[in-house]
Amino acid sequence: MGDNLKNTYLGAPARVLEVENLTSIEKLYTLRFLDNDINNKFNFIPGQFVMFNVPGIGEFPVSICSSPTRTGYLQLCIRRAGRVTKYVHENIVEGSIVYIRGPYGNGFPLEEMKNSPIVLVAGGLGMAPLRSILLYHLDTQHFSDLYLFYGVRNYELMLFKREIRTLLRGYYNVHVYLSFEDIDRGARELIRLYRKSIVRGMVTDALEVLRGSVPFEESYAVMCGPPVMYKFVVKKLLDLKVRPDRIYMTLERRMKCGIGKCGHCIVGTSTSIKYVCLDGPVFTYWDVLSTKGLIE
Amino acid sequence: MHYKKLPKEFLEEFINRLRKWGEVHAPQKKGKNTYFFSRLDDPSKVQIDYTRTVIPPTKKYVLRPVEPLMLFHGDRAEEHTLRTTKLVLFGVHACDINALKILDRVYLSEPRDPYYEIRRKNIVIIGISCMPDDYCFCKSMGTDYAMSGFDLFLHELRDGYLIRVGSPMGHEITWNISDILEEVSEEDIEYLKKFEKQRLSSFKRHVDISAMPDILDLAYNSRVWERYSERCLGCGNCTLVCPTCRCFETYDVWLSVNTSMRVRRYDSCFMVSHGLVAGGHNFRPTRLDRFRHRYYCKSYFDPIHGINCVGCGRCDEFCPAGIKHIEVLNEVIGEIYGR
Repeated sequence: MGDNLKNTYLGAPARVLEVENLTSIEKLYTLRFLDNDINNKFNFIPGQFVMFNVPGIGEFPVSICSSPTRTGYLQLCIRRAGRVTKYVHENIVEGSIVYIRGPYGNGFPLEEMKNSPIVLVAGGLGMAPLRSILLYHLDTQHFSDLYLFYGVRNYELMLFKREIRTLLRGYYNVHVYLSFEDIDRGARELIRLYRKSIVRGMVTDALEVLRGSVPFEESYAVMCGPPVMYKFVVKKLLDLKVRPDRIYMTLERRMKCGIGKCGHCIVGTSTSIKYVCLDGPVFTYWDVLSTKGLIE
Repeated sequence: MHYKKLPKEFLEEFINRLRKWGEVHAPQKKGKNTYFFSRLDDPSKVQIDYTRTVIPPTKKYVLRPVEPLMLFHGDRAEEHTLRTTKLVLFGVHACDINALKILDRVYLSEPRDPYYEIRRKNIVIIGISCMPDDYCFCKSMGTDYAMSGFDLFLHELRDGYLIRVGSPMGHEITWNISDILEEVSEEDIEYLKKFEKQRLSSFKRHVDISAMPDILDLAYNSRVWERYSERCLGCGNCTLVCPTCRCFETYDVWLSVNTSMRVRRYDSCFMVSHGLVAGGHNFRPTRLDRFRHRYYCKSYFDPIHGINCVGCGRCDEFCPAGIKHIEVLNEVIGEIYGR
């Protein structure tokens, strides 16, 4: 160890307990820190992220997709998207050691949302950070109602299939609506079983179909998805009368440090510079209005 | 503030005595008109009237262009141990001192950057007054005078230097070398006043920053950005020489079959990869996006600390396409006024 350095850029070693194939390009990694003290102390807010450090290969930011109510382990949904994640998919298996540092970022303001209805809008991989809120709600009944709108290209690419199919069957105050752009075999089967919960098209189409049956005016809305999605979903949510100060979104940027040093995630103009890693990754609609370039 | 005077004949002696607090680095000449900070072995080589160094001394000594962060042996990791030497930077200009304060804000805010912190703690800063040249616009940015951030600051007098003592370390130094120091006389104060008056009236470049952040923000779609970005080569020189640009990129290097090293190096927002994420999406895909981004980042008005640019003029002097930061700003501002 270095003399008086504090492992700021290294993190703590963690062992991969389990690897689950979610789709052909996404895997769910369950990890546990080697140091029990860290396991006990590690606490986070849904929406926060960690840096996933693979010795000799590189490091990337990834949002936590397990719930802070389920302690002792950490789940990360990783898509094979680039050089490092390709290595992770091919070489990080049960028992592998990686280094994790965090949690970083602000997370969702759950206290403010307590006992209100919440609308989660996920697109593709955007389901991962929102699953943290979903599980948190299942464990604590934090919201009065939870409406999940999950848009995905086809059933094959849908994440957390087992969990979502269970919730589709109906669970107390959790309501799940799915939208598929292409109807493949799995999607056809779901349509047969849960006709009212499945929409063909984009996630905005699903929101439109549910106009009138979801209390949008009183709800908080939280969204996550690919960069192109935000503009359309924000427009639809405003159209559905969600209050602008209740629209939250979590964003992605290149990050090399996670702690506001490396400068890659800086967005904004001369009146409003924001670090996605420090000021975000969760932003409100007001942030979007005052910070150019936050969403496209 | 505590003031002392150093007679001119003791300048070399003063530099030699500074060695007690660390290795003295000072501006020296390379080639015809290029200055750089490096170790000063012969005090007579110091270029006390230098204009600006290529790489800002403050950035050079706290953030290395390339530095190892950690070593991996298989799964085991260890942090890179820093070999730090105590340094005395002699002859730092006010703009660079103010720039270091901006870097401090970034790197010493929690969680602190340990590599930066260790280097920073081992640096003694001796500032020196200067006359603006054709490129300086620090006065417009409010950074032409250092009120803090130094240990000692030297102001040129007719027959010596007025020393401002800015820290306990500065006091320690003046205390130890009190035999070559004098008290400041009335005449010295008069000279300082005259010098400052002349300095303030020598600036050739100005930009009005009071409403600049808003005007630039409103000019997001200005054609001026487009025109200049077409001239820009995208080389990143301006970010390299900027005393407040401090983006870094990390990468891994394999040293042997089971040993690797995580390294960081300077990065530039002019590089295509700066806004690129895995999967191929680029948040700043065009040169226009990147060009404008740098101007916005530099012109960001922090409600507490002010603007991120210190007006040192390096990006103007060293731009191979001859783009002048302040001209771009003035043109964008002018355009929106004229509309």
